[in-house]
Amino acid sequence: MKLTYSTLIAATFACACAAPANADDEVYNNSLRLGAEFVFYHTKADDLTGPYLQSNGIVANFKADNLETLYAAYVRRIWSNFSVELALGYPPLSKVEGRGSPTVGSVPYAGQTVSSARWLSPTVLFEYNFLSENSPLRPYIGVGVNYTAFYDRYSTAAGNAAQGGPTRISLTSSVGPAATAGLSWHISGHWNAYASYSISQVDTGITTDTAGVERRARLHFGPQVLVISGGYSF
Amino acid sequence: MIKFLRPLGLVLTAVLAVACGSGSSQTAQVSTSTAPGTLSVNPPFRITSLTAATFAAELGASAAGAQLLQLTGAPTCGVDFYYLKFWTLGGAKETTQSSGALMVPTGGAGCSGPRPIVLYAHGTNTDQALNIADITDPTNTEGALIAAAFAAQGYIVVAPNYAGYDISTLGYHPFLDAAQQSGEMMDILAAARTALPKTFASATTDNGKLFLTGYSEGGHVAMATQRAMQAAGATVTAAAPMSGPYALEAFGDAIFFGSVDLGSTVFGPLLTTSYQHAYGNIYAAPTDLYSPTYATGIDTLLPSITPLDTLFADGKLPQTALFDSTTPTVSIPGQPGLSAALTAALAVPSNPANPETPLFAAGFGSPYLLNNSFRVAYAVDAATNPDGAVPTPSAGVPLAAAPPTQTFRLGLYTNDLRNGKWAPTSPTLLCGGDQDPTVFFSVNTQTMGAFWSSLVAAHLITILDVNGAPAGPFAPLQEGFVASQDAQLAFYMSAAGGSLTLAQAEQQLVEGYHTAVAPFCTVAARSFFSQF
Repeated sequence: MKLTYSTLIAATFACACAAPANADDEVYNNSLRLGAEFVFYHTKADDLTGPYLQSNGIVANFKADNLETLYAAYVRRIWSNFSVELALGYPPLSKVEGRGSPTVGSVPYAGQTVSSARWLSPTVLFEYNFLSENSPLRPYIGVGVNYTAFYDRYSTAAGNAAQGGPTRISLTSSVGPAATAGLSWHISGHWNAYASYSISQVDTGITTDTAGVERRARLHFGPQVLVISGGYSF
Repeated sequence: MIKFLRPLGLVLTAVLAVACGSGSSQTAQVSTSTAPGTLSVNPPFRITSLTAATFAAELGASAAGAQLLQLTGAPTCGVDFYYLKFWTLGGAKETTQSSGALMVPTGGAGCSGPRPIVLYAHGTNTDQALNIADITDPTNTEGALIAAAFAAQGYIVVAPNYAGYDISTLGYHPFLDAAQQSGEMMDILAAARTALPKTFASATTDNGKLFLTGYSEGGHVAMATQRAMQAAGATVTAAAPMSGPYALEAFGDAIFFGSVDLGSTVFGPLLTTSYQHAYGNIYAAPTDLYSPTYATGIDTLLPSITPLDTLFADGKLPQTALFDSTTPTVSIPGQPGLSAALTAALAVPSNPANPETPLFAAGFGSPYLLNNSFRVAYAVDAATNPDGAVPTPSAGVPLAAAPPTQTFRLGLYTNDLRNGKWAPTSPTLLCGGDQDPTVFFSVNTQTMGAFWSSLVAAHLITILDVNGAPAGPFAPLQEGFVASQDAQLAFYMSAAGGSLTLAQAEQQLVEGYHTAVAPFCTVAARSFFSQF
């Protein structure tokens, strides 16, 4: 996947740089962006609670592995300094690693990939763009709202073994604040390049159901996302 | 505005398209059938999985566990502990869910592949939340015992918690109800056989050999199950009922005539409630049986999530006073001799020559649990329809010649395992301790031995008294039991054990005797099973 995203970034910039120059003063109201995002999750989770855990001295916790995925966004110019961005990432497959007790009984736990899930995490950002629209480089900042839903939630074989059987995982959706700071570079004509760093807050409740035995925990993610993208305005 | 929304709408459409592909891994299948023997959830929940080394280490971490390991031997197999939920019937044929344990040995040769099943029935427990599958619960000593003695030595173990316990919403426990409890044993066995191929330990399979065992209440259940499975034509490779109240009518007669056993104030409410639900004729109101002090709520008191000591402290139950210390005067019209004899027989035991007199006398007091009127009605019935074993054994120690008319005694008669015109057809070990103050060895184990004397002579049935003179293949166990009793007595008299006097230490030993016999009989059962 790294190769894929690196190739994508290179291709985006190559395309943008190779594009013929256009009338530089023309203002476009819509923009589509495509690039790569690098997600650092900063997981903070409560210990899983439920039957046969605490009473047995088992500490079951999690952390999500960092990852890279595809970034896509639609940006609408409101007026010269304001715009609104609807950002999406290609829903990444996040792997969750067990933390806490090395074993559950004699079954390995800590360090094992115990589950995975995909995140659908659209974010709406209201952005203020500094400098004039004619400037080739424009810093911008934004605040907004992130919505995160989880799907394709799977417990791995290691997770099932630690949990005590085939396990169904539920994760509640989350709505939380988001903020971004970035820099746009007008390459030429319709084409621009962007770099941004965003943060958001995702709080979710996880419920595992193993043969009717339910266990729960709260998970708090503070995803920090570095985005490198190219954009086409129209 | 509309122009602005159009591209946004396209993006949201894409979002929804992705979201519609959501899914998650599946958990176990939940059965829609509530037919008896149906496994509710398949595969069942594995509470934990222990390697042989981990199990040995966890047991060895406590003094009691270390002692158990000395007796059972070090685990040679790992054990997976599964929590079974299954459907069964209550005492009045009510459909109810019940639960229990499936312990599956894991590991190499002798631990996986085709293995025998031990179907185990646990002893009386007042804890309504009892879950014998939960090996992580330090109070689950019986679960640890059977895991160490059987599962860790290569036997697949199946054991119900019993209806009325744990998740069962039955509302009472069908205590010593032979039909219900044997049915529940066969139901959990069917459920376990359904579950076994779906577990993580599916490499361990049923080799078709079935061993039945159980302790105390479970001894009765194991023998009742042996009878029921024989009647159903099901395989019983061998059985080892242990310290069970098999001859219930005789046992009841002994108690009502003054030989009150330790624990009777717990067994009494469990029994009357069980038979009231099963037969509906034990009482019109609890005050028919129970003293006003304890009658309120007695029919729903046990099992309970409240610890037994708290029930005693709160005045819900007397600790030992089953009967009124005021001796009733029996007056049967036209039978002054019998009336006088019964009055004398119902007096508080006072024979100083009998070392058990203090134990029996503790069964009398005030406040007391059972009314004298109830006791007299029972005694009159016993005098009218005498049991063949109590008070004076007659040839063949049969049940009463005619079914009792007193309804509670009729319940005991119905569930007495001399009933049913049967005898074991597979090798059977009856194990116990002859000084047992809780379930009398002589009235129960020896009565069954006398009842089936020809089978004992033919060596199909073996009677083992772990407190007896060491002899035969079980001599090391008998020596071990006596040594453990001596060591326990010395402990009680030591500073670590409370510096008790000899009399106090002996009293402690008596109170713990029934429990102390269990691991020795359990290991004897395993040794017995290993022959087949």
